Amino acid sequence: MAPAVLLLGPLVVLLVVFFSAPLVLMLITSFARESFGQVTWQPTLQQYARFFSDTFYLGVLGDTLVLGAIATVAALLMGYPLAWHLARTRSRLKPFLLVLVLSPLLVGIVIRCYGWMILLADRGLINATLIEHGWIRKPLPLMYNRFGVTVALLHVFLPFMVLSLTGVLKRLDPHLLEAAMTLGASPARAFLEVTLPLSLPGILAGSLLVFSLAISSFVVPILLGGFKVQVLPMIIYEQMLSVFDWPFGAANAFVLLALCVLLIAFYIRATERALQGIR
Amino acid sequence: MLRAAVVSVYVFLLLPLAVVVAAAFNAGNYFTFPPQGFSLKWFANFFARREFMQALWLSTHLAAWTSVLSVLVGLPASVALVRGRFRGRDALNAFVMSPLLLPQILTGVALLQFFTLLGWAQSYWALLLGHVVVTAPYVIRTASATLYHFDGALEEAAQSLGASPLRAFFEITLGVIKPGVVAGAIFAFAISFDNFTLSLFLTSARLTPLPIELFAYLKYSFDPTAAAVSAFAIGVVLVLVLGIARLMGLEEFAGF
Repeated sequence: MAPAVLLLGPLVVLLVVFFSAPLVLMLITSFARESFGQVTWQPTLQQYARFFSDTFYLGVLGDTLVLGAIATVAALLMGYPLAWHLARTRSRLKPFLLVLVLSPLLVGIVIRCYGWMILLADRGLINATLIEHGWIRKPLPLMYNRFGVTVALLHVFLPFMVLSLTGVLKRLDPHLLEAAMTLGASPARAFLEVTLPLSLPGILAGSLLVFSLAISSFVVPILLGGFKVQVLPMIIYEQMLSVFDWPFGAANAFVLLALCVLLIAFYIRATERALQGIR
Repeated sequence: MLRAAVVSVYVFLLLPLAVVVAAAFNAGNYFTFPPQGFSLKWFANFFARREFMQALWLSTHLAAWTSVLSVLVGLPASVALVRGRFRGRDALNAFVMSPLLLPQILTGVALLQFFTLLGWAQSYWALLLGHVVVTAPYVIRTASATLYHFDGALEEAAQSLGASPLRAFFEITLGVIKPGVVAGAIFAFAISFDNFTLSLFLTSARLTPLPIELFAYLKYSFDPTAAAVSAFAIGVVLVLVLGIARLMGLEEFAGF
């Protein structure tokens, strides 16, 4: 067998140059100063101080986290029954159902948002149908607000939650649940005391994954929030591509990065524990 | 009750994609229910617009090269990661998968700054290399999954019959793991073809892949030409997914 260095070399070089180096450069930039479009390489904490002392940016950070939390809880509530079904079903349709669950992942994010725009717009399918039947007079505010953003985020990230949960639920021994019920537990109590605790690692892993994806989403808030819902990734985009304040944009990016790395570290530990719990 | 909940979640997942496809074939300017009649005029408009055709060509081209490069760097790496016994293998494995874990907006921002300093910003190369960084991990994942199941004794048998290690790999191993490699290549193509976030930071007015063109179009107009573009892209991905499903089965592919 050829030495591992030769086999791994091209990929590792590619990633070090075009993935690690750019991130390190961004980290350095976030400690630099900017004046009149010129970046001065002089170590300073000015950018971070600006972020954490301005109520506007702190407010955006707060809104981002709230949006992430809402999307996560909603994904959990909708994903759990689906994962349960997918893990247990013996249906011949199962491959088809799996494609259905994965479908949001396989279709570009702009297209998914556009689908929701067709449904939720003022003259969209839902409002038009309701008005035509005379059930409402004015269109419901379904889009260009936090509701529309949450619905689309939920759609985009539900598959991740379902896949995390299905992995755990599939390995859960159905006899445990039967045993609890044979011993007199009601189905609800058996679920709460047996299934739910045993699927906790999957819940944790799925939630962390969805949360970290939701707080870094950017296309959904722009298209369905119509710039009325401000989130941290939008600030990063504006600072980098419109204001051209790279040090401040980089500092914003690192606030987001720090949050994500923290969540990913928890995620990895949670999935490891999930796997250990099964063995 | 569980059944009703499950069915409604499936409907929720499918609905936005279904309305996009329906709107693409609908004659009216706004999609209503019931539809206002069948029409292909939005597709005609899509194919007649130069900017969409250029974007489609660029996306196809870019996705094909991304797929080829991802396999070229990803396949050897996954061989080393599955078979190699060396220190730091787990750490390396985590490192090569890390582009999947990092939000793409961060990768995009970092690459934009990096390429600008290099003077490569808004070039085809920048776009291509950025895409390979995020697609190579998928090739590693699918290739590794099939490599784990491969019986190393087959390769040893070939070598004891006189084949060189390289020949044994190309004639025996590659033949057996081919489905996983091809599935990875298809997936890399699909990811690149659909990629929006990374492309946004690496494109210019002259260099716009299809998702970026669609996004720009949607910011100013709402007409169903966008639906035709989307339905077309959904069709492309559907064909690719069916290909993956035939090659390796979706359960293994989804990782459970």
